[in-house]
Amino acid sequence: MIGLFLYVALGVGLLVFLWALARRKGAPVEGCGLQFVEARQALRTLQFGLLPENLIARIFDPEDFRYVTAASPEEIGKLFLQERSRISLMWVRRVRSEIRNLMHFHLAYSRLHAKLSLLTEVRLALDFALLLLACRALRILLYLRGPYGARAVVRVLTAAAGRVCAASEKSLAFLNPPALESFRRDSAGHGAAI
Amino acid sequence: MNAPAKHTDVLAAADDLRRRTLADMPQPLERLIYLASTRDYNTGLYYHHGLALRFSEEAACEALADCHREAFEELVAASLEELVYELESYLKSTRVAAGDFIVAWKGLEPYRVAVPVGIDSLSSELVFSNLKVALAILEQRLMARPKPGALLHPLPVQ
Repeated sequence: MIGLFLYVALGVGLLVFLWALARRKGAPVEGCGLQFVEARQALRTLQFGLLPENLIARIFDPEDFRYVTAASPEEIGKLFLQERSRISLMWVRRVRSEIRNLMHFHLAYSRLHAKLSLLTEVRLALDFALLLLACRALRILLYLRGPYGARAVVRVLTAAAGRVCAASEKSLAFLNPPALESFRRDSAGHGAAI
Repeated sequence: MNAPAKHTDVLAAADDLRRRTLADMPQPLERLIYLASTRDYNTGLYYHHGLALRFSEEAACEALADCHREAFEELVAASLEELVYELESYLKSTRVAAGDFIVAWKGLEPYRVAVPVGIDSLSSELVFSNLKVALAILEQRLMARPKPGALLHPLPVQ
């Protein structure tokens, strides 16, 4: 009798598993152009708006703080720290948001178009996990220790974000084929616009 | 303002702009304010009469926009110490009483409308934040060494 229950339970379990598998929806291929454009926008924002070395160096450069504390009264020092913390938190929030956009794109659409090897996909997944973890850790550290207390985490985060951007660049490369780029360059000189 | 300007014309116009008009403005802050003032608030297009005559309106517009972005990027890269120096130099160049200048800049924050198009909001927030602190430092310095005409008083109209 017990054996029968076990077999029935196993059968029901298998049925539920198959039903769950059947219900899993893949990303629709049709109409996913917008997602590609959004992913490219997220990539551009990361590359040119949030991850340039000089911008990161400026936000987290302790020289500014040294200058303020050496040359100004305490209340200006406080104002500076408050402002710089606000900017650094804004930076982390923006990086996290764009990384999440890229991650959703990779999860849903990238595999349909880009030929990524299993190893690259695993590395990418690890980088995304590391990035989201680093963003969370950095936010906590910025709250607790201020803008200059987490430079090592900033370095880890920017390095991982750079790797993710490089992989995303490959996935989205087909959106800017070299032939179109050269055509665009040539046409600009004759007043035509694409 | 119909057809886009030729790239070579834009480069030549920008070079001309840098050698003539902008040569007298060594500080990026001064250049930023000046170049923002050549932009029409309603259309977002830049206009410079001399440059438009020498090249074309389109080339002048693009050259002014390029130089505007360049000045802004220099400000983003500037340290706080450099920014305080730039602000002080700009204050001197305006020939306005220091107190009036500080009150107007703290109250009106005119630099907020001087951002070029297409700049990421984080970069502009960094510059605004640094200018806010630089103004506080400059104000504190001016109060430490008061001069005639540098008395702080509120703006007549805000």
